[in-house]
Amino acid sequence: MPEVSFHQQIESLRLGAGEIFYGEGILAVTKALLQSGVSYVGGYQGAPVSHLLDALVQSQGLLSELGVHLETCTNEAAAAAMLAASINYPLRGAVTWKSIVGTNVAADALSNLASPGVEGGALIIVGEDYGEGASVIQERTYAFALKSSLWLLDPRPDLPSLVRSVEMAFELSETSNTPVILELRIRACHMFGSFATKDNVAPAHSANRRLGPAPFNYDRLSHPPATFRQEADKVERRLPAARRFIFENKLNEQLGPREGPIGIIVQGGLFNVLNGRLALAGLSDVDGRVAIPTLVLNVVHPLVPEEITRFCAGKSAVLVVEEGAPDFLEQAIGQILRKADVGTQLCGKDVLPMAGEYTPLAVGKGLAAFLARHDRAGPALEQWIARVEAQQAQVGKALVAPLPARPPTFCTGCPERPVFAAMKLLRREMEPVHICADIGCHSFATFAPFSQGNSILGYGMSLASAAAVSATQTKRPISVMGDGGFWHNGLITGVAGAIFNKDDSVLIVMNNGYASATGQQEIVSSAKEAGGRGPGIDIATALKSLGVGWIKRVRTYRVASVARTLRAALRSQAKGLKVVIADGECQLARQRRLRPETARRLAAGERVVRTRFWVDPEVCTGDHSCIRLSGCPSLNIKPNEDPLRSDPVAHVNNDCVGCGLCGEVAHAAQLCPSFAQIDIIQNPTGWDRLKQRLSTGFIRLLGGGGRSKPALVTAE
Amino acid sequence: MAHVQPITVLIAALGGEGGGVLASWLHRSAIAEGHFVQGTSIPGVAQRTGATTYYLEIVPHAGARHRRSDRGPVLALNAAPGEVDLVVASELLEATRAVAQGFVTPERTVLLASSARVFTIDEKAAAGDGRLDAQAMADIARRCSRLAIIADFTAIAAQAQAPLNAVLLGALAASGVLPVPISEDAFRAAIRAEGKAVDANLRGFEAGRAPRRTASAQGDKTGDQTRASPPLMHLVSQQLEAFAPQARAVIAEGIARLTDYQDAAFANRYLARLKPFASRPGAEGRFLRELARHLALRMSVEDVIRVAQLKLRKERVLRVTHEARARAGDIVDITEYLKPGAEEILGLLPPRLGRWALARIRHDRAWPLKVTTTRASGFLRLKALAALKGWRPHTLRFAEEEAWVERWLELVDRALAMSPAAAQEVVATAALVRGYADTYKRGLANWRKIVECVIEPMLAGRLSRAHFADAVLQARLAAAKDPEGEALAETIAAIRRSAAAEHAAAE
Ligand code: SF4
Repeated sequence: MPEVSFHQQIESLRLGAGEIFYGEGILAVTKALLQSGVSYVGGYQGAPVSHLLDALVQSQGLLSELGVHLETCTNEAAAAAMLAASINYPLRGAVTWKSIVGTNVAADALSNLASPGVEGGALIIVGEDYGEGASVIQERTYAFALKSSLWLLDPRPDLPSLVRSVEMAFELSETSNTPVILELRIRACHMFGSFATKDNVAPAHSANRRLGPAPFNYDRLSHPPATFRQEADKVERRLPAARRFIFENKLNEQLGPREGPIGIIVQGGLFNVLNGRLALAGLSDVDGRVAIPTLVLNVVHPLVPEEITRFCAGKSAVLVVEEGAPDFLEQAIGQILRKADVGTQLCGKDVLPMAGEYTPLAVGKGLAAFLARHDRAGPALEQWIARVEAQQAQVGKALVAPLPARPPTFCTGCPERPVFAAMKLLRREMEPVHICADIGCHSFATFAPFSQGNSILGYGMSLASAAAVSATQTKRPISVMGDGGFWHNGLITGVAGAIFNKDDSVLIVMNNGYASATGQQEIVSSAKEAGGRGPGIDIATALKSLGVGWIKRVRTYRVASVARTLRAALRSQAKGLKVVIADGECQLARQRRLRPETARRLAAGERVVRTRFWVDPEVCTGDHSCIRLSGCPSLNIKPNEDPLRSDPVAHVNNDCVGCGLCGEVAHAAQLCPSFAQIDIIQNPTGWDRLKQRLSTGFIRLLGGGGRSKPALVTAE
Repeated sequence: MAHVQPITVLIAALGGEGGGVLASWLHRSAIAEGHFVQGTSIPGVAQRTGATTYYLEIVPHAGARHRRSDRGPVLALNAAPGEVDLVVASELLEATRAVAQGFVTPERTVLLASSARVFTIDEKAAAGDGRLDAQAMADIARRCSRLAIIADFTAIAAQAQAPLNAVLLGALAASGVLPVPISEDAFRAAIRAEGKAVDANLRGFEAGRAPRRTASAQGDKTGDQTRASPPLMHLVSQQLEAFAPQARAVIAEGIARLTDYQDAAFANRYLARLKPFASRPGAEGRFLRELARHLALRMSVEDVIRVAQLKLRKERVLRVTHEARARAGDIVDITEYLKPGAEEILGLLPPRLGRWALARIRHDRAWPLKVTTTRASGFLRLKALAALKGWRPHTLRFAEEEAWVERWLELVDRALAMSPAAAQEVVATAALVRGYADTYKRGLANWRKIVECVIEPMLAGRLSRAHFADAVLQARLAAAKDPEGEALAETIAAIRRSAAAEHAAAE
């Protein structure tokens, strides 16, 4: 079961005409899909669009009523390929993933989809993981839309506008026989707002009302010679059709006065940021009543040349507000104006940053510069910029050193942490080796206290990225991969490739049972548990079938045995791929399963043993080696009680789930003897009580515990 | 143009702390009170305990516009610096981060923050004390806000056994600083409507509402100030009068520590070692206090006998029971993780025998033990070890530690004759020798290196004396900061280079 439960939200997917939906942007989009009569939905999880799939997975009832088929795909290529159903049939379909990475993976299928084009509306909803909070390389999806002739929507971020965009996207797709990408930035996906709903539409053809096969039609194949005809069709028929539809349905919005000496052309997704700065300059208000002619491009590809020239004609200058590099829009607009011989001056990345998120400050500064050039500068905007920069500088000075960042880290009791503790111990013992890191929770090992990893080449790519490294290093490299990445493509790209080429390297597969980083979605190897969808395919069996001879399984929490196994893998005389499968269930998922069960047993008076760790503050010397080998959020520091010492001591708080790593590390690294395991037997049985009484009696007989702390100290 | 400014709220929290739920409560209650609201967040992978922010904009009394699907108010998705009315932070560093980013401003912003710290990994992982200055952060936050409500809401939450976010909501409700009218009952209704852990959250809400003393950010960094208690001072004997008043509390503590560690005679040896310094020129209060402190710690080194003794303390079980929140009737077991090495175990033998045995065994041999001290067998094993206390003065380890102490005191003594500032630094090098096993060995090796390459050459006049104190300080900081790395070797090389340069210049 995914991490986030959508019970309340799922109900809102059932809302009918005239009701009000309150919720997140990505759920509003999900609702809009149902209102648009989709026949099938699929995708691959990834922030910020995971919720779309998670919510649908939990809405099976509603989907089967409507006849909507849902597929949780093994990767984005599979999701893109799924849209093939719309090539031959009048089926509306939508898939989702995180971009840019997911679009990269999907690229081959996308090209083959775009070439023949579609009959039924095909929509790709991408989470544009760009700017603050992004976890992937910073690139734009735009390039894919351009090269494959896919249309790209970047709607204004408010719920009614998102919902309308989804509905119009299907029509646009069908009118122009072209798949459409809808991009949503992180903040738009998580935006909480409202819109008036319509009834859901049961599709004409669906899992409930099935079709027969389409007649043979060579032009539906992306295969020569059809591909040559398709290339021409894209530009000769589909593009003009799309432009006409965009223009006639006013998908792009012209706001503010018609005429004026200057104007602004802005990506829909950035309009709200821009409006805030315009309002500050006295050129708009909270309702978006801008005082400068503004063209909001809810469709950023294709542009409609007449719309652009008409907007620019008669203006001395326009500002293009376009986030990220390269400046595709600015280039395209420049070309349109040049060809139409419109002399309007084009501004954009000369006043706005070439790269990086368009925050209010970035947009404010660019806007101020543009306005100043054209004598529209208002003092309010400039004063604000000066004030903000002055305060940032002043606080910066008062702070002496920059504030430390707080990157994400492994959760309390995470099963992956012990593996990295073992690797760190090994690094001290043996000399470091080259580490190929991967995407997933385990990439947190690149942060302190583990600070390891030499490259990250994408999801499931660690082993493939080790190929030439292993051939040119004195020591075998180690590749780390999660089970998510393993099934996403690591098995083929990495393992099969390494076997085929007889690469001599070591692979660790973190088998925690879920795609954990994206919210614990089930994967092929997820165990079959109550309510779960995982078929429980065994990773070791899959490896064996590919011919991997050296496979060892370890329990991640056994630090010493993980270290021993890795040492053996690194030192083994055997050439070829050596795989260590590190088993340990995602602790978040485990706790979510166990907590209600424990509460029930406690309430029923059953015996429950709660285990946690504890640091003896009298024995801790404040060296914190334990923290440098763990970084568990529950393993903390606190002020020293000893009047003779000042360094803070280590301290385990009550969030500790007793994973045992603390004890394992204390033993494996021979740390100070300050760690203790605490077992609390709740609702003890008569036998428990008898044993305890005997022990206590015996201890008392021996004079009880040692002396108390000297009174001097306890008096404190 | 009419300028209806939306009310803006920024919530800064850590992943998993319920910042999103807090945002959702605000959202629900604002809608219920007839306002227009839009909000967003940056959770992403930061859900995993990283820094997260949530941002809300509220247009007062415009709730009807939720029902219109044409054009709602255009609300920003990013907080703009200088345009935030309320910042709620669950932690002091995150509050300060919001200040540093310009979201908290003296003209506009009310800051409601917990003064508690959740330490970053760098602060936690530093050997010694790597904590940021909490007082300085709180001061900056106060200076930069229109109104700052900074209190230890985390402690209030712990006491109420309720989530911190609910306590913050309660504090927000009670403070009346929210610049848009939302009644307390609307907040309570929102908590119920959210439907998660309703009882605990309502409890937290009420705890947050309760009036409290305005606590300042806790200044735990007492540094090297001693926290000796008044009762202690009663025990100041005539013996202590020989020492500067500033050092007396620490010396009294040292006497108590060493009496407990060994016996009164050993405590007397401590005093006897300190006495000659009491009247030395240059040995003022601070110097004596630090000398007494380090001497007491180094004389009560945690050998296996001491560890066993500490682990048998009577109050331990009570303390653990309390800390782990065990209920009456629960049985609490404590299992110690120990791994004595060859040196620790053979260190119990008499010096000659011990050295003979150590020469014949691999030094990296160690024996992992799990000892349950709350059960008879485990208790018995530690009791037997602790009973060796009387034997301690005859052990190899004791002999080695005594030799170390004598050597260190001799260096302090010689340095004091030369420069009080340098002597102070030589005293402080004692902090490098601590811990167990590898940590201890590394520390000791680093200490020896500093003695050999910095202190002795200085004392012998082979390096420029003018930089004596500074050189020892640099070397000891390098060793403390990076005990496993190359920092110390680099620092020593730098000291040698600058000495050589000076030498050349003088000639
Ligand atoms: S045993 Fe240690 S590592 Fe495991 S959850 Fe507790 S504090 Fe964290």
